[in-house]
Amino acid sequence: MLVSIKWLGRHVDLEGLKPEQICEDLTLSTCEVEGLEPFAPHMASVRVGEVLSREPHPDADKLSLCQVAVGEEEPLQIVCGAPNVDAGQKVAVAVVGTRLPGDFKIKKSKIRGVESRGMICSVRELELGDEHDGIWVLPPDAQVGTSVAEALDMEDWVIEIDNKSLTHRPDLWGVRGLAAELGAIYDRPLKPLDLTLPEVGADPAFDVRIETPACSRYMGLVLDNVQGGPSPAWMRHLLLAAGQRPIDGLVDLSNFVMLDLGQPNHVFDLAEVPGGIVVREASEACKFTTLDGEERALQAGDMLVCSAEQPVALAGIMGGLDSRVGETGSRRLLEVATFHPATVRRTSSRLGLRTDSSARFEKHLDPTLPSKALAHFAHLLTQWQPDVRLPAAISDCGDWTDPAMEIELSGDHVRRALGVDLTDDAIRSILERLGLGCTEGEGTWTVAIPSARATKDLTIAQDLVEEVGRIHRYGNVPEAALIADVVPPPVDARRNLVRRVQDRLAGSGQMHEVLSYSFQSDDLLETLGWTTEPHVEVINPVAAGMSRVRRAVLPSLLGLLAEGRRQSGDLRLFEVGKAYVPNPDAEDGQPTERHELALAWAKPAAAADAAFDDSRLLHLRGALQDLFAHLEIEAPTWTLDDQPPSWAHPARALVARLGDSGPPLARLADLHPEVAVALGLEGELACDVAVAEVSLDQALGAPQEASGYRPIPRFPGVKLDVAVLTAEETHAGDVQALIEKAGKGLVRDLELFDLYRGESLGEGRKSLAYHLQLQSDKRTLSDKDCAKFLDRLERGLGESGAELRRS
Amino acid sequence: MTDLEQILSEARAKVAAATQAESLRAVDREYLGKEGVVAGLLAAIPTLEPSERRAAGQGANEVKTAVLEAIEERKSALAREALSAQLSGEGFDPTLPGAAQRRGSLHPITQVTRELEDLFTSMGYSVLDGPEVELDHYNFEALNIPVDHPARDSQDTFFCDPEGHLVMRTHTSPVQVRAMEQLEPPFRAVAPGKVFRQETTDASHEHTFHQMEGLVVGKDISVGHLIGAMKTLLRGIFGRDLDVRLRPGYFPFVEPGFELDARCPFCEKGCSVCKRTTWIELLPCGLVHPNVLRMGGIDPDEWSGFAFGLGLSRLVMLRYGIDDVRHLLGGDLRFLEQF
Ligand SMILES: [Zn+2]
Repeated sequence: MLVSIKWLGRHVDLEGLKPEQICEDLTLSTCEVEGLEPFAPHMASVRVGEVLSREPHPDADKLSLCQVAVGEEEPLQIVCGAPNVDAGQKVAVAVVGTRLPGDFKIKKSKIRGVESRGMICSVRELELGDEHDGIWVLPPDAQVGTSVAEALDMEDWVIEIDNKSLTHRPDLWGVRGLAAELGAIYDRPLKPLDLTLPEVGADPAFDVRIETPACSRYMGLVLDNVQGGPSPAWMRHLLLAAGQRPIDGLVDLSNFVMLDLGQPNHVFDLAEVPGGIVVREASEACKFTTLDGEERALQAGDMLVCSAEQPVALAGIMGGLDSRVGETGSRRLLEVATFHPATVRRTSSRLGLRTDSSARFEKHLDPTLPSKALAHFAHLLTQWQPDVRLPAAISDCGDWTDPAMEIELSGDHVRRALGVDLTDDAIRSILERLGLGCTEGEGTWTVAIPSARATKDLTIAQDLVEEVGRIHRYGNVPEAALIADVVPPPVDARRNLVRRVQDRLAGSGQMHEVLSYSFQSDDLLETLGWTTEPHVEVINPVAAGMSRVRRAVLPSLLGLLAEGRRQSGDLRLFEVGKAYVPNPDAEDGQPTERHELALAWAKPAAAADAAFDDSRLLHLRGALQDLFAHLEIEAPTWTLDDQPPSWAHPARALVARLGDSGPPLARLADLHPEVAVALGLEGELACDVAVAEVSLDQALGAPQEASGYRPIPRFPGVKLDVAVLTAEETHAGDVQALIEKAGKGLVRDLELFDLYRGESLGEGRKSLAYHLQLQSDKRTLSDKDCAKFLDRLERGLGESGAELRRS
Repeated sequence: MTDLEQILSEARAKVAAATQAESLRAVDREYLGKEGVVAGLLAAIPTLEPSERRAAGQGANEVKTAVLEAIEERKSALAREALSAQLSGEGFDPTLPGAAQRRGSLHPITQVTRELEDLFTSMGYSVLDGPEVELDHYNFEALNIPVDHPARDSQDTFFCDPEGHLVMRTHTSPVQVRAMEQLEPPFRAVAPGKVFRQETTDASHEHTFHQMEGLVVGKDISVGHLIGAMKTLLRGIFGRDLDVRLRPGYFPFVEPGFELDARCPFCEKGCSVCKRTTWIELLPCGLVHPNVLRMGGIDPDEWSGFAFGLGLSRLVMLRYGIDDVRHLLGGDLRFLEQF
């Protein structure tokens, strides 16, 4: 919202206050000031000139050659194209060197061979209005040579206020309300304003009927003998400063009253509302063309102002195209009403039609305000057009009550809540400066809340605490230490778990943590065939195809793989986050929340003929096993996943469960080759990708298995390597079991270090090589023990169709 | 000077003059060899008077020991010199880089969140969590923002159903009422997390960002307490005292409500971060509205409290000087690797 300081000055004396000071004080006591700009700064350099003579241009019919006095010794010769320029006029002259809006710099020039030393400006060229059918003729008493700004008293500053910071203050949506606020801040009284209803004639009041509870008050005033034409210059300038384009006298006046008092109003041509006014709700969907020429689709329940024949305005939002004030008739109807905030708000937000009027109504306007605004309008109109007559009684109907109320407040309450040591007198004085009268009671005051503040803003004692606090200034509140027993907060198992996961993966796991969006694109989900899965969806996404809220975290990482691979040959990512699955059974409708860890590891595949199985799958499995051990949860059971998710390679997918049949703790797989291609991992980006997801909910509930301490062996052990040649189908786990069996409890630190297939081994054969250590707690082991172990192992393997490779 | 002293002194001079192992060995031979000086001294003993023999034997042996010592000492000195010459001769390019160390990283939001969590838990706050897909009740209704309240406009809400029953939470404030339902007053809690706004994104606007809610409920909690707590918070974040100012701000769930500005930590006279105002708008806060306490099942006549909402994303950007908010959730490796 733009507010002119000169306009504020109509209501409160701001003498001696710098604009910057006013902004600072508003910021600290009232609302958020977003900017301060001089009004029409170019007008300071446009000068008042007097046209001394006008002659036709020797070489151009439509141009005139003017001699214009601008307060210098010699008059300036200026070529002017306007038809209305004439000798004796006072005009606005931009001399050579002046900059006009649009960064237009006036230069000395030759027009059709004649020198021109400046420009006589139109209103539009000065951005003071739309008129451009001629130059701007200034009042005859304007002092030649002074700046137009000074001569016409246009010097002003414009404060920009963040509307959001006024959401709760309908009273500040008018200049007078804001002036009252400044009055309270500076302890200066409001200037009086005549808001008594005007004298009216004896004709019966215009017929108004209200057929909806959404209109609590409707006042109508018939205006007769109204003339067209522009509004007074002072009003136009104030409107311009407030960012309103002057349009036509009556419209300007209507806007002025709205901005001045915060009460929207509307002027109808009386001929357009034959048979009286009815305020009602639309009974069914219909079309209505608003003043701006847009056809609007209305719904049942939208509030309309209608004539006997048809709707003439969308109540509280915008008039209809047909109700535009015509130039013809001189009889008008002024509407000043109170419409229900929610009703106006619903319609205006549905139509995307926010107007100065709807913005005010939805803040909950004071129902006593219409009579004041009506009076203000009538007084301003009759001052401007003394011949206007008010022939009929004022229509005033509706079921409204004065919201003025009382709140009990004690000084102690204020002191306690603010934490400041203010005397009762000081508190009371602040309240009274704000127009909140206090009556002394038993240890409390009864504070009278005037209607303008009572609709929504001030309703409880805490609201008054704020009033005192902000005028006293929060900067004057001393800081205080919070004092309470120090009790350590309870252990937060989930947060601890998440931290350990993050630290392990980002640490020894050498992975990068990602935080990604909760929305997953339809394109991404399409590659997984997930678009038919139930998702939580937003109905107003930021972009088409971005409505789905993730039901699993992993796809978020998949979407990053191609770009990540471009950046890094060895890409390791993880994310800890939440996912949501619709839960039709939930009583409150809330979806099921899942806490998940997703991991992805991508690296160019080893050469196809590489002997050693160096797949990412095994590396990621290693990282997960390490993670689970680090989290000290019971080691899960890993099996082939017989229900692999769509992102998983169907034969290279594993599932880890707690116990044999528990719910999955983790799923781990090679990325499905088709999915990889769909994600762009082809050509030079093709790679070996293993991905996994871990349910942190499961991990949190998993039985703990403390890693504990194992005594350091007292006797030296024997390190050795064994290689086992076996059939391709034999599982490594079986070989490992045989080794452990042969070791009779002495095998420690068994580690597979090579998995080899090659021609030398024969078709369908593979070699598994292990490091291990034989270790006894009771004695030093000898070569004999080692030989015995190898013999046992050889026999055991032989019985299972495998063989120990002796090198 | 006796003869012996003369001999020893000459021997020492020769030892000292030897600069190589070879010349040292020559000294060794000259004095200690079979035909050497010491041998000569010993050989001459039988020719002496019996009364002098004992002293002469002793003298010769002393010379022998002393020469031997000098030679050994010189020998190790020469070895040290030789080694030192050899090592310094190897030469090394001091600009060779260290071997690349692979490492992972924690997201900057995680890092700053942890810092704050640790700061708050050290002051007795619990860390709470709340759902990202939230009920209208917690996101709005219970926060004193009923349907049709104009404050809903400024929230740019993502709706999950046409009735607006379920929304993507627009702030972490819903955790306030959830906290009140869970905890017995007095308590202190913070709740970090993701929030969502339906708005067009650019370098300074994101539809998804992170906040941290704070809530303190106790007896006679005042604006003064709020100011004190916020100053402590800023000390924790910026490592020094920053001036703060509270100015009125409107949020329906607090009364009175404030915007807290901190003196720009990056400048004294205005910079691009503070938009030349020297103040940084840091967090909205206020005393908890009695209606909200009531919604959380807490008697506002008995208890009061304050709440604040810290923009984590913004803080992370301030901390690291990140110029585009979209980097935070973009997942670009070149961004992640820096933390
Ligand atoms: Zn700055």
